[in-house]
Amino acid sequence: MTLTVALAGNPNCGKTTLFNALTGARHHVGNWPGVTVERRSGTFEHGGTTMEVVDLPGTYSLAARSEDERVAVHFLASPEVDLVLNVLDASNLERNLYLSTQLLELGKPVAFVLNMVDDAENRGVRIDVPALELLLGGPIIPTVGNREQGIDELKELLGKMARGESNRCRRITVDYGHDIEGELAKLQTEICRDEQLEASMPPRWLALQLLENNVEAKRVVGESHASEAITQQLARSFAFLEPHLGADGATLVAERRYGFAHGLVKEVASAPDDKKSPTARLDALLTHRLLGIPIFIGVLALMYSLSFILGKIPQDWIADAFKALSTFASARLPAGELTSLLVDGVIPGLSAVIVFVPVIMILMGCIAFLEDTGYMARAAFIMDRLMHVMGLHGKSFIPLIMGSGCNVPAIQAARTIESPQDRLITMLVTPLVSCSARLQVYIVIAGTFFSPFKAALAIIAMHFLGLGLAVLMGRLLRSALFSGPSSPFVMELPPYRLPMLKATLIHMWEKGSIFLTRAGTTIFAGATLIWFLSRYPGIANREWTLEYQQQRQAIVALNLPVAEAEDRLKAAQLAHESRIVNTSLAARLGQKVEPILRPILDPDHKRAEAWKDVIALTAGFVAKEIVVSTMAVIHQASEEPKEGERLSPLQVALRDGSGLTPLTALAFMVFTLIYTPCIGTIAMIRREAGSWRWASFTVAYGLVLGWGLAWATVTLGRAMGFA
Amino acid sequence: MTQNPPIPLSLLQPGDQGEVVLVQAKGQVRQRLLEMGFIRGARLRVEKLAPLGDPMELVIKGYHLSLRREESSCILVQPVAG
Repeated sequence: MTLTVALAGNPNCGKTTLFNALTGARHHVGNWPGVTVERRSGTFEHGGTTMEVVDLPGTYSLAARSEDERVAVHFLASPEVDLVLNVLDASNLERNLYLSTQLLELGKPVAFVLNMVDDAENRGVRIDVPALELLLGGPIIPTVGNREQGIDELKELLGKMARGESNRCRRITVDYGHDIEGELAKLQTEICRDEQLEASMPPRWLALQLLENNVEAKRVVGESHASEAITQQLARSFAFLEPHLGADGATLVAERRYGFAHGLVKEVASAPDDKKSPTARLDALLTHRLLGIPIFIGVLALMYSLSFILGKIPQDWIADAFKALSTFASARLPAGELTSLLVDGVIPGLSAVIVFVPVIMILMGCIAFLEDTGYMARAAFIMDRLMHVMGLHGKSFIPLIMGSGCNVPAIQAARTIESPQDRLITMLVTPLVSCSARLQVYIVIAGTFFSPFKAALAIIAMHFLGLGLAVLMGRLLRSALFSGPSSPFVMELPPYRLPMLKATLIHMWEKGSIFLTRAGTTIFAGATLIWFLSRYPGIANREWTLEYQQQRQAIVALNLPVAEAEDRLKAAQLAHESRIVNTSLAARLGQKVEPILRPILDPDHKRAEAWKDVIALTAGFVAKEIVVSTMAVIHQASEEPKEGERLSPLQVALRDGSGLTPLTALAFMVFTLIYTPCIGTIAMIRREAGSWRWASFTVAYGLVLGWGLAWATVTLGRAMGFA
Repeated sequence: MTQNPPIPLSLLQPGDQGEVVLVQAKGQVRQRLLEMGFIRGARLRVEKLAPLGDPMELVIKGYHLSLRREESSCILVQPVAG
């Protein structure tokens, strides 16, 4: 038989470390049904019994207000759970026990883990475990999760409980005092009139929630046939309690729970000594009035370099390996549809997916490290003022900044934001932050149409424009999507702790593999679709393929010097591809769409080839840097400059042949910045926001906003006399 | 000691101590603050303000918490001499 153990506790109580210690590598990460909260479950065996451990999201309470809390309560109340394991942070016992009072009220057997007893001892707090066991009515195992102390004892206890060999759980509940207990009893009587309601959760728990004025509890009651009687009784209870005890129900219940916790702590734990904790000493520096911000910027710079500079090394290996594979395949296989599917579709598609993995793993590792040490909360503390002005949360800062490296991991980094509203807005505006792929497009375009100095200015301006828009859209989306007040900023600053390397590595591995399985398929599918659009029907044209093969043979037959032969072969290949792309479905689409883009790319209606820009922009869906390589194919000009020349053949072709002017080129850059996130970013938003709705919304508002700003650039520029 | 009228928590300076008198916030914020230990009579001490002046860091129930001015101004406290 399998016993299901729910692991519950406050954030920062070391629950996940304990979970890792219990289940080792045998665990699975998924999502709770219908929400984007991660569900971690794993198994271990003891004495022939298999236990399934489910790690609940860390919460301070079970009031079912946040997504995390709803998930936790729902699961704890379900018949699936046999045993609740409540993890308590020994160095912060009183507040941790608040949640315990609620867990005890849910009616399942509860066992306790007193974690981080070493931290408590360092603060001079000694805890009388047998006394605490007696008062809480459940077995308690002291542990030090990050040194795996007490894990064997814990496994043994759980095993015994599973086999029914240990029956140390007694029902202990908080005594709310004569007056409140009287009203609770009356409410319970009314609740029990509805048998279904009574069976769905413990009546006493529901009655307490009602006294606390809990919205979720009221909703549940609203669906009951006894709803009217219960609501009337609740009104009578409020009318009696509030004048009588001088406070509203929520305050009274919270006071009694804390009263219980406080009494317990006084009974079993010695008071902490006054000496300055290591955390206080560190905070004197890390959140210092003057030094706090520079230190934070330093941390950010380090994280950025690790992710995007160090991470670029394996990224280049991957890209090179795929390029080599692609060259190898195209050299060995006959030219044609299947080869093109493999060489231009499948291989770049796979490459587009896998290339993200190193950055994601490093960045998410850094973020996990900052979270586990406790510095993430300080970073939010330091930056919150600034981010609050933008309608965001202090924790939104890191994703936004990391977005300038790559939007894909930046959106995943928004996971650290607890409030779903703040998190969603952060995810929706992150794509506006100009990433390093877009930089490659700016460099080519700005380098073509501007002097080096002006080009640098234009590129910097793009980055500021992106950040500015992110701020503006943040405010706008906040007021447009969420009418209520922004979620409260009540954030714990947990003690600093040194995380275990193993935990960080497990976390990195999880993030990397989740990305591959969940977002990877979308990216791959998108890349293949774009391949199809930009290759058909030309790629299937036998005559063209034959002509191309004959050209190649002719060049080879000339017996030219190797370098010249290669040049000619490349030129022939480019011409062949160019013919295919310029007659493709994407080109037809471009010709259809071109009138819409005319005001921004061709205001005088003088350019014959403005539709070619649309092909490049369509290809940019896969990844923004592909805009450049597609332009090279469309304009039949290599993107690599010849020796000793400043401009590449592509840039010369753009300058002389495309009809773009400096002003429309600038508009093109603005449009490239905003028009749509790349497929990787879209896939990540879909995964992290849990639906296609927000992913498509991001694309739609990007297109509209991008068009609008590019148009404004052209219109204003012309008004000011630029061309 | 003479009883001064309670003041909003946001008016306390770093180093000041106080006792919670009343949480005036409504709805979600109120419930959250109660759960975090802002109950009548709870002792707290303001540690510091963030480098940009907001939010504030305080110690309550033996742990560290940060609050924005928005929230701390809805908590009435009785200043207590350290």
